[in-house]
Amino acid sequence: MTDDRGPWYLLTGLIIGFLLGFIYAWRIDRVEFVDTRPDMLSEAHRDQYRSLIASAYAATGNLVRAEARLALLGDEDPGGALAIQAQEAVVEGRPLEEARALGLLAVAFSQGNAVISSPPQASPTDTAPPPTGTPTTEPSQTASPSETPVLRTQSPTITPLPSRTPTPTAGAPFVVQQEPELVCNPASKNPMIIVEVFDASDQPVPGVEIIVLWEGGEEHFFTGLKPELGLGYADFGMGPGVEYAVRAGGGGELVSGISTAECEDDSGERYWGSWLVQYVQP
Amino acid sequence: MLRWFLFLISICLGIAAALYLGWVVLPSQNVQVSPATLRIDYKTDYVLMVSEAYSADNNLELAVERLSLLSDQPPTAVINEAVLFAAKNRYSQTDMTLMQGLSDDLLAPDVAGEAAQP
Repeated sequence: MTDDRGPWYLLTGLIIGFLLGFIYAWRIDRVEFVDTRPDMLSEAHRDQYRSLIASAYAATGNLVRAEARLALLGDEDPGGALAIQAQEAVVEGRPLEEARALGLLAVAFSQGNAVISSPPQASPTDTAPPPTGTPTTEPSQTASPSETPVLRTQSPTITPLPSRTPTPTAGAPFVVQQEPELVCNPASKNPMIIVEVFDASDQPVPGVEIIVLWEGGEEHFFTGLKPELGLGYADFGMGPGVEYAVRAGGGGELVSGISTAECEDDSGERYWGSWLVQYVQP
Repeated sequence: MLRWFLFLISICLGIAAALYLGWVVLPSQNVQVSPATLRIDYKTDYVLMVSEAYSADNNLELAVERLSLLSDQPPTAVINEAVLFAAKNRYSQTDMTLMQGLSDDLLAPDVAGEAAQP
């Protein structure tokens, strides 16, 4: 090294040091996460966690607990995340029970309505304080979770409230309220079959399976997966030149002969309309 | 001599920068954490959720698949760990019963045999 070489040796030293440090940090002593929180899970595992929350909710009807669990995931919009995941589950052909559970929880969450189907059994231990969640193992030196409110796994002792969420009942099959109606909306130019399902008291019903049939195919989905459009709402994108039939619920009335139809706006421009099919439980 | 000293300092700075990136910055930006790393109370609640779902669908295969995300251990061992934590922290009897019920079903020879089948 002579003076006329300039300061490049400093850069060389930095690079050598960086490489040595990189090898150590990424190969020899990599960060391992322990004692993590649900909000730290990878995206795929967060989806699995969310799906499990929905399944547990579908089993117990305990929205208080489901909300507490959803809060652990730290989603900005838990209801929206549930609805999106429910739609993805349908599109990806995942089990219908999973999509239905996600959709029901999305609807319940958006209503903020506690549906408790099985109140906790009273016993002396039931009123004991919930677990503190104190870590029983030492947190990782490099990825220690910060102190966070811990999910209360204790069964809530609140008084069950009557549900405001209409749920599908094993009653009479759904029948068509009126003939399918062509809906012309210039803002929505993709042809769709829009299904709305109501119960006997004219309340929208989420979680009803809608079956769309066409030659060579069929599609199953549920009402309520787009809660912002209505709890009993569901839609399906149509293809031109295909004739569809729709059924709501297991033994619901079949509506056939639905195909794309055109609408015309004020300026004479033509666009695809959508078909509205409304079902009601007599 | 000064040049060698500065050279060593620059190497140390390079090492420090790489360690900071590798241990602090990049892991926090690119976290790929699985349920197996969850803290014990969250794991216990995960087991409880699986048990609650199982109580309704009776799908033992699905329950085993979900529990397998928590540990490489057999599912019964995972549940036992959760039950111990739950007992220690005085979970409700309903929750304990749900978890114990799933564990019992997993231990039942005929059902466990079916669940082991793909």
